[in-house]
Amino acid sequence: MPIRTIVRLTPAKPKAGENFKLQVVAQHPNEPGTRKDAEGKLIPAKYINLVEVYFEGEKVAEARPGPSTSANPLYGFMFKAEKVGTFTVKLKDTDGDTGEGTVKLELA
Amino acid sequence: MNRRAFLRTTGVALGAVALAGLPVRAQGLEGEDLANLEKALQAVLGKGFKDLTPSNLIKLTMPAIAESGANVPAEVEVNLPSNQVKAIHLFADKNPTPHLVAFMPMKALPYYATRVRLAETSAVRAVVETADGKLLLASASTRVTVGGCG
Repeated sequence: MPIRTIVRLTPAKPKAGENFKLQVVAQHPNEPGTRKDAEGKLIPAKYINLVEVYFEGEKVAEARPGPSTSANPLYGFMFKAEKVGTFTVKLKDTDGDTGEGTVKLELA
Repeated sequence: MNRRAFLRTTGVALGAVALAGLPVRAQGLEGEDLANLEKALQAVLGKGFKDLTPSNLIKLTMPAIAESGANVPAEVEVNLPSNQVKAIHLFADKNPTPHLVAFMPMKALPYYATRVRLAETSAVRAVVETADGKLLLASASTRVTVGGCG
């Protein structure tokens, strides 16, 4: 099942040369593998362990989160605004499920 | 080595020497567990706690108290040029898996924000791997009312 991925920029339209944040929110339980269900059985681990950020097809950042990431996680990055283009964020979890979100960088 | 690279490396080295005098343990962090942290540091970096240099170039922002350990905001900002930061790591001393994340900035600025699970009240570490192989450290501590891993 694809992971629902939302990407947004703050500020939405940065000025050229200004720093802006790229924030990614994923809809994912991010089970660390240490939690127990109501019957006391361990819930198997299933978490996002790869976050890749591409700008116009070029990889510009990568994060490898561990099991201790919250459910519905947030990943925040910071870039300097230089030219307009499209950011694509690709997520992958330990079961091989993937998610993808895009956002367009426009300059004010 | 050209003049600029030389100045840069000596500058970083001098900073490291100035900071090395500070006793690391004297920070008296709540929820410190160096034995657990040491294992994770060895597994991820191949280095131990003694190889880390406390640095005020790293700004680690964590809440002092988190009501729920399931969703604790963490933010790291490194006051170094992007091309000098190879990776930013986050560790939590008391977590079953202390290594929270590895972040490779590449073309991004050396900044990373996320939300983490903390099993219990714990010291949190930001470890920055620089391009010239140094390991810089910043610590914070978050008191957790309800754990987020169990």
